[in-house]
Amino acid sequence: MIRKEINKISEVGKALISVEGNPGVALNHVVELLEADSNQSLSFAKAINITEDSTRFQVFNGTTGLSTSTKIRMHEIPLTAGFSNKMLGRSFDGAGEVSDGGPDVIFEKEVSTRLDTLNPTVRNVPKQALWTGIPMIDVFNTLVKSQKIPIFAGPTEPYNRLLSQIAQGAQADVIIFAGIGLKFDEYHYFKEQLSQSGNIDKTIMFSHLAGDSQIKGLMLPDVALSVAREFGDQGKDVLVLLTDMTNWSNILRNVANYQDMIPSLQGYPGSLYSELAKRYEVAADIEGAGSITIIGATTLESLEDPVPDNTGYITEGQFFLENGKLKLARSLSRLKQGVNGKTRSDHRAIMTAMASLLADAEKAHEAAEVGAANDPYSQKLLRYRTDFIDNVEEPFGEPIELEAALDKCWAILKRHFDPTETGLSKKLIEEYWDKN
Amino acid sequence: MNDINKKRTGNLISIQDSLVKARFFDDVIMGETAEISVDGKFLQAEVLQIQPDPKNADAGIVEMQVFEDLTGAMIGDEVVFKGTPLSVLLGPGLLTSVWDGLQNPLYKLSEEDPYLKPGMNAPALDEEVLWDFTPSVKVGDTVSGGDVIGNVPEGKVDHKILVPFSFGTCKVESIIEKSSVNIIQQVAIVVDEQNKKHELQLAFRQPVKSPIPFVDRAIPSHAISTGTRVIDLLAPVGYGGTVGNPGPFGAGKTVLQHSLCKYAVADIMIMAACGERAGEAVEVFKEFAELEDPTTGESLMNRMCIFGNTSSMPVAAREASVFIALTVGEYYRYQGKKVVLLADSTSRWAQALRERSGRQGDIPGPEAFPMDIPDQIKGMYQRAGEDLGTGGSLTFIGTVSPAGGNFQEPVTQATMDATGGFWGLSQDRADAKKYPAIDPLVYTTSVYDGFVSWKDRRKMIQTLNDANDIDQTISTIGLKKVPVSNYVQFQKGLTIDFCVMQQDAFDKVDACTRPDRLQVINQAVQNLIDSSIDFQQGDMDDEQIKELIKQKFDGLRQWWREWNYSAKSEEEVTNLPKAVDKFILQEEYAV
Repeated sequence: MIRKEINKISEVGKALISVEGNPGVALNHVVELLEADSNQSLSFAKAINITEDSTRFQVFNGTTGLSTSTKIRMHEIPLTAGFSNKMLGRSFDGAGEVSDGGPDVIFEKEVSTRLDTLNPTVRNVPKQALWTGIPMIDVFNTLVKSQKIPIFAGPTEPYNRLLSQIAQGAQADVIIFAGIGLKFDEYHYFKEQLSQSGNIDKTIMFSHLAGDSQIKGLMLPDVALSVAREFGDQGKDVLVLLTDMTNWSNILRNVANYQDMIPSLQGYPGSLYSELAKRYEVAADIEGAGSITIIGATTLESLEDPVPDNTGYITEGQFFLENGKLKLARSLSRLKQGVNGKTRSDHRAIMTAMASLLADAEKAHEAAEVGAANDPYSQKLLRYRTDFIDNVEEPFGEPIELEAALDKCWAILKRHFDPTETGLSKKLIEEYWDKN
Repeated sequence: MNDINKKRTGNLISIQDSLVKARFFDDVIMGETAEISVDGKFLQAEVLQIQPDPKNADAGIVEMQVFEDLTGAMIGDEVVFKGTPLSVLLGPGLLTSVWDGLQNPLYKLSEEDPYLKPGMNAPALDEEVLWDFTPSVKVGDTVSGGDVIGNVPEGKVDHKILVPFSFGTCKVESIIEKSSVNIIQQVAIVVDEQNKKHELQLAFRQPVKSPIPFVDRAIPSHAISTGTRVIDLLAPVGYGGTVGNPGPFGAGKTVLQHSLCKYAVADIMIMAACGERAGEAVEVFKEFAELEDPTTGESLMNRMCIFGNTSSMPVAAREASVFIALTVGEYYRYQGKKVVLLADSTSRWAQALRERSGRQGDIPGPEAFPMDIPDQIKGMYQRAGEDLGTGGSLTFIGTVSPAGGNFQEPVTQATMDATGGFWGLSQDRADAKKYPAIDPLVYTTSVYDGFVSWKDRRKMIQTLNDANDIDQTISTIGLKKVPVSNYVQFQKGLTIDFCVMQQDAFDKVDACTRPDRLQVINQAVQNLIDSSIDFQQGDMDDEQIKELIKQKFDGLRQWWREWNYSAKSEEEVTNLPKAVDKFILQEEYAV
C-alpha cells in the first residue's frame, strides 16, 4: 500500500509540530516522520488538533532534529498497541516497541489504545481478594481484584521498592509494570528485582525514563493498559503497577502548556481529573472474563496537591507510605468489606481491635511527648505501638500468607495485653489466644 | 426560520478533543443537536455558539460539543442539524432503567459489545413492552400541554400519560379504548388550533435545558424521613428542597448517598452518577435490586432509575446527564410524585463546564471555572421544588467534591449560595471514624420544624456547641481546671454526639431511624440535657468525681450504643428514655 506523504511542516515546537493546510489526516491518527533525503524513520506522531488551516501533531520521539523539510507519511489508522502472549518476560517503551535489546516480538494482534469505557453493566461487584503477602495490606486493607488504588508517598519514600515487593508476592496471572519518568537506578532496580523473582515469566515491563521523549511517557499508560485489558478480556487476572502517576500528570501539564491550554490549578489542565480517571477506570472485574487491578504510585508533597487530590476522588482508597512504613491510620481500602468477611473468623475482629488499640496508642504517644503517659496501661500501649510499627506496618520482607499474618497479629497482642484489654470477643479469645 | 423539516447540513472545519467547528450555509438554531458522520458512524453533538465566517460572507460557523470520542474525524465530515434541542424520552419504563448520560440503555448496549464505542445507541425506553393503558379523556375534549389523557401502571407507580408540554390547546380527535400498547403505538390524535393533527404515544421527547413548569410552586416545608439521625434531627431536608453535600475524599459521601438512596421516603429516586467511579453505580444497580423499598417492600430498583455517566465516559455528556436526570424528575413531579434526585457529583459536572470553556478559549473565572458558574449552579438547583398544584415534589441533593477538601473553592461556595440545605462532611470527624461525618455544628437547613421542634433542636445544638467549647478548654488548660458542672455538660454533649449523631450505616437496625424512633430518642436527649445529676458519693474530691462521671457516662454510652444496634420491638425502643431517666436519678438501668 502506498501511503500518502506530505512535506510542509510549518512549525516545530516542544513535543509538537504543525503543518499548514489540511493534509487529510484524521483526529488521533498516526503519521510517521521521515528524514527528507534518506527516508529514514525518525518518529511517529499523532494528530491532536485539526483545522482547515493547520494540523497539529504530538511527536512520540520529541522534536529535536526535525526540520521543515522532514517528510510526513500518513498511516490512516488510530494509535494501536501490539499484543502477544510472547510479550511476557519482555520490556517495551512507551510506544510499545521492544526495549530490552532482545529479538523483535511478532504481535498476534493490534489492540486499540483508545481505552473505551467498559459498559458498567458488564462489571462484577468486586468480591475476590488479591493477596499480596504483605500483612498491612492483606489483613488491614485487603486489596481486591479490580481495585484501583494508589500508593501515596513522599518523593524520597521507597514506593518503587514497595511496588516491586507487591509484584513479587502478588497472586495474579499477569503483572504489567508501567514506569513513567523513571530514574535509571529505579529502572535498573525493577529489572533486577523482576528477573530474580519467580514472577518474571508473567511480567511485562513498559518503561519510560526521565529525559526520554515526553510524548512516549504520556502515551505509556494507554499502551500498557490496552495490553492489560486484552489479557483481562482473555480471562486473566492482571495486576498493573503504574509508577509514578505524578510524573505522568506533570508531562500532561507540560504538553497542555505547549498547546496553550488554559491552566486550572497549579498549571494542570482542567481535564486532569478526567484524564486520570480514564486510566484508573480501566480497572474492572469483567463479567465472564478476567480482571484488571491497578496500583499506582503518586508522589506528593501535600495531600492537597492537585494530583493526589484528584487521584483520591478517583481511586478506591489509598495506601500511605511514610518513613518506609505502610501507615494504618492513613491507608484505606474501600473494597475490603467485600472480601474480609469471608476469610478466617478472626480476620475482621483482629483488624478492628488492633486498629482501635493503635489509635489509643497514638494518643498515649502524644501524651508521652509532654511526659503525661506514665501509667502502666499507657506504657503498654507505647510498647505495642513500637511493636506494631516494626512488625506490622513494615511492608518489606518475605511474603506471608494471610493465616500466618493473623497468627502474628495474635502474638503481638499477647505480648502486650491481657485478653480483656483487647476488646475481642470471648469466643475468639478462647479459639485463638493460647494457640499463639 | 427555515422549515426544520428540510435537511440542513454543514461540514467540519476544526476538530479539537470534544469541540468541533463546522461551516454551514442554511440556518442553525442555538442549542440544537446535530449528528456528525465520522467513519460511517453518527456521533451526537450540541450547538454551543454561532459565529460569522471570516472567509465566506454567505456562510456561518457553528461551534459544537460532541458527546462521543472523535477519533477518526476529518475536515469536511458532514454535520446534519436535527432541529431539536438536547432532549429526553419520557414515558412508562423509566423506572428500573440504567442509562448512560445521554439516556442510552446500558444493558441493551452491552448485548452489542462489552465496551462503549462511539456511535453506539439504542432506544432509551423498551419499545416492545406492553403497558395497560386506560384513557381518561374522550373524543371532543379540549387538552393542552401537561394534561393527562390516560394512565398505565408502572409497577406500583400510577404513571400518567401526558400531552407533551410544548403543545397548546388541542381537541381530542380520537383516543384508543382501554388496551395494551407499547410506547411507539399511537394512543390518541389531537388537533391544534391551526387544525394540524398530532399523534400521541405513551412516550414523548422533552428538551432538557428548559424546565417543566410548576402548577403552583410552594416553599418546601415537609421534612423527608431520610433515616439518618443527624440529618433528620438537625438538618432536615423538605420535599422539594435542595441540599449541597460537600466533603473531601474519604469523608463518607458515597456511603451517605447510598444510605439516602436506600432509606429516604420517596416515590421515586433518581441517581445521576455524574463523573464518579463506575464501581459505585454498579453497586447501586446490582445490589440495591435485592434490597427492599422502605414503603412498598418491593425491590428498591422498582422506584429507581440511574444515569451513569461515570468518570471515564465522554466529558461533554457529563453536563447533559444532570439536565436529563432533572427533567425526568420534573416529569414525575408533574404527575404528583415525590421524587428525590441524587447527583454525585456536581463538582464533576462543573469541571465538565470548565473543560469546555477552556477549550472554547473563554476568559476564565476563579480556578479557571467559567465566570458564570455560580449562576449555572443556581439555575440547576432552582429546578427542584414542591408543587402544590400536582402534589408532587422534586428534591435535589447534590454532592460536591471540593479540590483539596477546601470549602472555599468556587463550586462549594456557589452551591452553598444556591441550596437551602448544606451538609458539610468533616475530615476531622471522618478521621476519628465519627460517621456519618456531617459536622453537627456546620450545616444549614431551610426546614423550620422537622421531626423535632425548633426549640428542641436548638437545645441539642447548644449542648453540642458547649461540649465542643469545653473540649477545647480541656485540651488547652487541662481537665483539672475545668469545673465539675462544665465537665458534666461536656459528657452530655459527648453522649448525644456518640449515641445520636453518629450512626452505623452498615448495621441492619442502626442504619435507618424512622420518625417514631426519633421521637423516643429526642425525648431521652431532652431529658438528659435538662437534667441535673448528683454524682457526689460520700467524700470525693473534684478529681475523683470527674473520674466517676466519666465512668458513669461511659456506661450510659455503651448501653445506648447497644440499644441503637438491638432495640426493635416497641417495648425495647421505649426502654431508652426509661434508662436515661434512671441514669439521671443514678439508679440501675440495665433493662
